[in-house]
Amino acid sequence: MPVTLQLTYEMSKALGVPRIELDGPETVADAVRTVASRFGEAGADFAKLTRVTAVAVNGVLVNYRRGMKTRLEEGDVVAFVKAAAGG
Amino acid sequence: MIKGYAGRILEVDLANRSFVFKPLDESIARLYIGGKGYGTRLLYDRTPAGIDPLGPDNPLIFATGPLNGSVAPQSNRFAVVCKSPLTGGIGNATCGGSFAFGMKKAGIDLLIVEHRATAPVRIEIDGDRDEVLFHDAAELWGKGTYATQESLGKKQHHAVIGPAGENQVLYAGIVSNERIAGRTGVGAVMGSKLLKAVSVRGSRKLDMEDPEKFKEYTKEVRKLFKNHPVLGESMKRFGTGAIVNTTNARNILPTRNFQRGSFSEAMSISGEYMEDHELRGVKSSCIHCPVTCGRDVDVDGVGRVKGPEYETLALMGSNLEVGNLKKISEWNYLADDLGMDTISLGASLSFAMELHERGVLDAGISFGDPEGVSELIRDIGHRHGIGDELANGTRRMSEKYGGKEFAMHVKGLELSAYDPRGSFAQGVEYATTNRGGCHVQGASMYMESVGPLTINPQNLKLKADIPVVQQNLACAINSMVLCIFTTYGIVPRAIHEMNPNSLRYRALVFAFENMGPLLRTAMGMKGPPMLWFEKWLSYITGSKISGGHLQEIGARIFNLERMYNLREGFTAVDDTLPDRILHEPTFKHMQSGHPLGQLLPKYYKIRGWDEQGVPTPRTLERLQVRT
Repeated sequence: MPVTLQLTYEMSKALGVPRIELDGPETVADAVRTVASRFGEAGADFAKLTRVTAVAVNGVLVNYRRGMKTRLEEGDVVAFVKAAAGG
Repeated sequence: MIKGYAGRILEVDLANRSFVFKPLDESIARLYIGGKGYGTRLLYDRTPAGIDPLGPDNPLIFATGPLNGSVAPQSNRFAVVCKSPLTGGIGNATCGGSFAFGMKKAGIDLLIVEHRATAPVRIEIDGDRDEVLFHDAAELWGKGTYATQESLGKKQHHAVIGPAGENQVLYAGIVSNERIAGRTGVGAVMGSKLLKAVSVRGSRKLDMEDPEKFKEYTKEVRKLFKNHPVLGESMKRFGTGAIVNTTNARNILPTRNFQRGSFSEAMSISGEYMEDHELRGVKSSCIHCPVTCGRDVDVDGVGRVKGPEYETLALMGSNLEVGNLKKISEWNYLADDLGMDTISLGASLSFAMELHERGVLDAGISFGDPEGVSELIRDIGHRHGIGDELANGTRRMSEKYGGKEFAMHVKGLELSAYDPRGSFAQGVEYATTNRGGCHVQGASMYMESVGPLTINPQNLKLKADIPVVQQNLACAINSMVLCIFTTYGIVPRAIHEMNPNSLRYRALVFAFENMGPLLRTAMGMKGPPMLWFEKWLSYITGSKISGGHLQEIGARIFNLERMYNLREGFTAVDDTLPDRILHEPTFKHMQSGHPLGQLLPKYYKIRGWDEQGVPTPRTLERLQVRT
């Protein structure tokens, strides 16, 4: 099963898709690099955004694991997280 | 009389069509402020245990606070307090719109509606002439909340029910303009009294201790709000719908009756998507509020109406596995017009869908399919057919059909849209909040899974402390009566703009997470007023109110609510979470669900309660809670 990258709305507008599936990235950093290289200039914008956006793997922020070096397994969901407020 | 109060309570008896003005009790106002606090005190004192919530002896209390009637942003909400027909415990809800402003202009701090009319009635209160007029409401009975308010006109401010309230749907609400006092079935209580609408008018001015300082300071606060990343920016653009993508990413977006925490179509029901595709025209707001968190949308056959906010997008979107924003908007409109809480409605629909999935009940709806939902919502509002069952909420449905394990309520009130398996403090809050599975009487999730600075939501650190602090603050806010969104302004821009991957951010989270008892000590300190709502209260009433005072007042109100529930027969057994939340993991690394059992004893201790969750005499004495 591929790894799924769930994008923020901003990222999805930049890349033109709401999510991306990848085969075999070993870490979160690998996944980001792969996507960036696939989308050219838009990919570079995406990579810039990832540096200032929180990231969760299967719902858990990577800050509580190994950051961008967090290892990935088949079927994992890497989600970029923006803070929000409301009720 | 303390400034900020009109100094009077209006008691209306629907059975004999009489009314009387009585003086406000200053000593109660000093201890409980107003709103939910004062209302709870009245309910406790005026009723014995065991009354029928839909019977004539359950008073329906509309309550304002000393900030209402001013032009301070977010200051015009009212509270409704009664015994809840949904839970059997303390019932309360707050609502925006313009009714609170109207009450204060009429010179009424609290309105107590008692007994039951003999036929549908509406009342008009003229605060300048000090009179209450009783009108037959036969022509309005059966009308939706939009048509009712339109019929009543714009010269007064109204609080109305729709068919759901008339038919005593147990989660019916009371509507003011486009806002609703949604939770705990306050609209059903109004309907049980055959009261269709309350209209108020008057021209009284709010008396303040220092109006000049209040005016100057409010100008500063408006600038602060305008420049705030949430109150001035993201709320204006996205409303609360932007939370959908956040909770989805954190795996806490209720999906398929809380079977999962993420939804593949979340983005298509988010606030950002709504901004790009569905929004129409001016965004709506409560009177005098610059935040304008409401979103207008187009609904086929109806036109432009208030659109869905986060709870509706989640509980009636991802929770039903429907990713169709147009459909959710249509259902939101139906619920608003019928006058129903979309949280309890959404949870009742998803429960019915799961019963269908398990072959237990066919209510004509299933996960992922919008077919039949609109018709069923109408049937619920009118208690037709199977709608009559869903109108009673998930607890009663599970008592009849089974499925207690996945009936997503606490104390009978359905959970809001933050899955506590990924937000442990929120879970403690759900389990202990006196009105049931509610999030706005605390909002712990903001500090652990949604906001800009979040601690690890899945360890035990601070997970008993945060709910206590947040619940106390929310009690105070709901007694002033302010919009709870005002508290989002406390987090400054610098925190919002911090890079969440930076060492500085991680150091701050570490410090926050490990501050434990310091947090409660810091929040309990009584010094000069610092935050805007503390200063407003001080400029209006003349009392120097700081965060520590609000924590104490909030704790007082919370403990009185607790005593009310205990008197009604609630026990520590009711401080729990649905079995699904306790036992079914939704995170890859977890073997089970929420560790409530490990956190509840600590919560009780912080509260000053015994091991059975009963406030000790010492705690009640310290907080001056008379029972």
